[in-house]
Amino acid sequence: MSGGSDLAAPRGATTRFIQASALAVLFAVLYGATRAVPTIQSRVGTIGAVGFLLLTGTLTSELVEIVGLPHLTGYLAAGIVAGPHVLRLIDEHSVEDLTSVNSLALALIALEGGAHLRIATLKKSVRSLAWATVIQSLLVMAAMSIVFVLVRKFIPFATTLSTGALAGTALLWGTLAITRSPSATLGIMSQTRAKGPVMTGTLSFVMTSDVVVVVLLAAAMVAARPLIDPTSSFSLHAFEALGHDVLGSVALGTTLGLFLTMYVRLVGAQLVLVFVALGFGMSELLSFLHFDTLLAFMVAGFVVQNLSRQGEKFIQAIEQTGSIVYVIFFATAGAHLDLDLLRELWPIAVALAGSRMAVTWIAGRLASRLANDPPIVRRWSWAGLVSQAGLALGVAGVIERAFPILGSGFRALAVAVVALNEMVGPVLFKLALDRAGESSREPSVSLPSIPPPPR
Amino acid sequence: MGGHTIRGFGLASGAEYVVLGFVLGPNVLGLVEKSMLATFDPIADVAVGWIALLIGFGFGVDGDRRARAASMLGGTFVSLFTGAALFVPLWLLTANIAPVHGFDRVLLVGGIAAACSETTRQSVRWVSERYGATGPLVRLLGELSQSDDLPPIIAVAILFSFVTPAHLPWTIAPWGWALVTVGFGLIMGALAALLLGRDFRRNESWGVLLGLSVMGIGITARLGLSSIGTLFTMGVTTAILSRHRAALREMVAPTDRRVLHPLLLLAGAHVDLRAMGSVALILLCTITARVAAKGITGFTLGAASSAARSAGPVLGLGLLSSGALSMTIGLAFALRFPGSIGDTVLATAAAVAVFGEFVGPTALRVALKQAGEIKSPETPPNQDLAKA
Repeated sequence: MSGGSDLAAPRGATTRFIQASALAVLFAVLYGATRAVPTIQSRVGTIGAVGFLLLTGTLTSELVEIVGLPHLTGYLAAGIVAGPHVLRLIDEHSVEDLTSVNSLALALIALEGGAHLRIATLKKSVRSLAWATVIQSLLVMAAMSIVFVLVRKFIPFATTLSTGALAGTALLWGTLAITRSPSATLGIMSQTRAKGPVMTGTLSFVMTSDVVVVVLLAAAMVAARPLIDPTSSFSLHAFEALGHDVLGSVALGTTLGLFLTMYVRLVGAQLVLVFVALGFGMSELLSFLHFDTLLAFMVAGFVVQNLSRQGEKFIQAIEQTGSIVYVIFFATAGAHLDLDLLRELWPIAVALAGSRMAVTWIAGRLASRLANDPPIVRRWSWAGLVSQAGLALGVAGVIERAFPILGSGFRALAVAVVALNEMVGPVLFKLALDRAGESSREPSVSLPSIPPPPR
Repeated sequence: MGGHTIRGFGLASGAEYVVLGFVLGPNVLGLVEKSMLATFDPIADVAVGWIALLIGFGFGVDGDRRARAASMLGGTFVSLFTGAALFVPLWLLTANIAPVHGFDRVLLVGGIAAACSETTRQSVRWVSERYGATGPLVRLLGELSQSDDLPPIIAVAILFSFVTPAHLPWTIAPWGWALVTVGFGLIMGALAALLLGRDFRRNESWGVLLGLSVMGIGITARLGLSSIGTLFTMGVTTAILSRHRAALREMVAPTDRRVLHPLLLLAGAHVDLRAMGSVALILLCTITARVAAKGITGFTLGAASSAARSAGPVLGLGLLSSGALSMTIGLAFALRFPGSIGDTVLATAAAVAVFGEFVGPTALRVALKQAGEIKSPETPPNQDLAKA
C-alpha cells in the first residue's frame, strides 16, 4: 500500500536478497518460538502475530513484485503460509483475535472508496455505470443460478434438495456471485496508483454495487424462503428491514461525513486517532443498530469529498493510516483461508469460480458495448470484478443464518470459491491495469507507512 | 531522545500520570475495574517494549552528541551501586518480614533494586530546558542519566530468564536464556538496520520498526523472557549498525511521551498498595536506601569532577528522580508475575517515582544554580509556560 510522500527507488538484487533472507529469518524465529511453546495465552500470540504478519506480509509483497504479482497476493501468501493450515505459526485464536482489525480496515476501505467517488466523474460515466450495474448484477446473478443448478450433482449438500429448494438455493448462490471486493480494488489502486477509465469505472462500480447487493440479497431471500422452506409463507418483512437498513445507513453516514468535514477543516490533527476510534467504536454502534457499516462509511467518505474541499487531505490521511492496517487485514485473511476445505471442495469450487469469471467477462463486454465505452474499457472492465473477499463471506454468513436448513454446506462452498477469487482476482486486475497502461510508471512504495507524528 | 523539547509539559518524571492512574484504578475510586484493566494488558505489553526500544536508541547519547566513555562507565557504575545499595538492606529486611522465600525473594528484591536504580533522563532535561541551564555539570548529568540504564535492564533480563515456561523441548540454563534475550535483540536490531537500507525512507522505517518490535515483544512474551532486554538490545544494535541512526532518533522521539504517559497511567492503575502486608516497610527501606545511595553518589561526583564540586551536597538529592525506566520495569514485573511479587515491585517503583518528583527536580535546580549553570534571574515558570 502506498502512502506518504517519499517515493522508493527501484529495488536492486541486493535489496531483494536482503528481503528474502530477512523473511527466512523471521519465519525461522517464529517457527522456533512456536515449536518451543506451542500453547500460550491468546494475547501473547496475538501481539506476536500482528508484528509478524505486518513484516512478512510486507516483505512477501516486495518479493512477489518481481514476477509482477500484486502486493495483495504477497500479503495473502504470507498469511496462508504462516496460518493454522500450513506452518501453524499463527494459531486459530490469534487469527480470530486479529479479525477485530477487520472492522477498522473495512471502515477505512469504505471511507476511502466513498471519498474516491467524485460527483463530476460519476456524471461523466453515469451511462457506463448504469449499464454495468444492470448487466453485471442481473446477468451474472441469473447465469450463476443456472450454473449452480447444472452442477448440483457435484455439490454435496445440493444433491438432496427438492426442485423448489434447489431453485431457491441457486438464486441465493447467484446473489452471492455478484458481490465484489472493495478492499481488493482499493488495494490494487493504492499499489499501482492507476489513473484512467478502467480504474475509475471499476472503482465506481464496485463501491456502488454494495447497495445493489444489499437490495438484491433482500429480494432473493424473500423469493427463496418459501421455495427452500415450504412451511414458511411469503413475507415482505425483509424489505421493511432493508428500508431501515439503507436509509439509516445513509442518514448516519451523511451525519458522520459532515462531522468529519468539520473536524478535518477545523482541527485537522490526530486523524489517526479519529480513524481508529471510528473504525472500532462507530462500527460497533452501526452493528448494534443493524445498519450497513460499509454503506454508512462509504456515504461519509462521499460527503467529505463532494460537499467540502477537504477531500484530498482526507484521502491522504486515510491512505497513511490504512497502509499498516491493510497489510494485517489481508495477511489475516490469508491465514483465515481454510485450505483443508478448499482441498476437499476444489473441483466444484474451481468450476464455480471459473464460470463466474467467464460470465463476468461476457457481462463486461456486453455492458461496455451497450454503453459505447472506449475499446480499452470494453477489453478490461471485467477484470476488477472477479475479486471477492469479506463482503461475500458476510453475505454467505447471512444466508447460512437465515436458512439453517441448508446446513453449513452452503457457507463451506462459498468459502472455497471466495478463496479462489480472492487469490486470482487481484492478479487479474493488476494485469488489466498494467495492460491498459493505467498503472503508474513510478516505482511503488510497498512497505507500510504511518504518518510522522506532528512535532 | 534528542531534539524533542519537553519543557512546559507536566512534571519531570510524569509522576502525575501514575497518581492519576492509581486514583482512577480499581484500588481507589474503582472507575477502572480490574477486568477492564486486563483488556489493556496487550497495550501495556507493547508500550513496555516500545519504551525499552526508545531507551536503546538513545542509550549513551545526550542530545545530538554521543556520551563520553567515562560518563558511560560512570552512569553504569552509579546504577550498579544504587542497585546494590538497595538490594542488600531489602534482602535483609525481607528475611524477616516478607512472606516470600527462595527464588521469589530474589525476584522481589532484585526487581525492586532494578526498578529503583536509575535517574530518569527526563528529569535532567526537564530542569535544564525549563531553567535554561547550560554548562559542564548539565552535560555530565545528562550523559550519566542516559547511560545508567544498562545494569537494571540486564538484571531484569536475568531475573526473567529464571522463570521460563515449563515443558520446553530443550533444557537451557537461565544464563542461556539471558543470552537468548540479548541475542534475539541483536538479530532483530541487525534485521532492522538491514531492512532500513541505504536510503532513509521515513514512512518505510516506521513499518520496519513497528513490525519488528511488536513481533519481538510477542515472541519474548511467549518464551517468558524480558521484552525490555530484547527491545533495548534491538534499539542499541539498530542505532549502532544503521547509518540513519540520527534520523531514526529524530523520527521516534515524539513517540516517547505519547507512549510513556499511557504507560504511566496504566502502571498507576495497576498499583496495589495492599500487595503485601509489609509493603510499607519495604517502601520505607527502599526510599531510605535510595536517598543514601544517591547522596553518596553526589559526594563521589563532587570529589571526582570539578564540574560537580561547586554544586554541593544537594547534588545527590538531585539524582533522586526516577520515571520512565522504573515504571516500565515495575509494570513489566506486574504483568509477568501477577500477584504479590509483581504488585510490590510496581508499587515500590511508583512510590519512589512520586517521592523523587517531590525532591529531585528542586534539588537539581538548586545544585545547578550553585554550580553557576542557571543564569539569574530565572525565567519564571508561568512566563515560560506562556511562551511554550
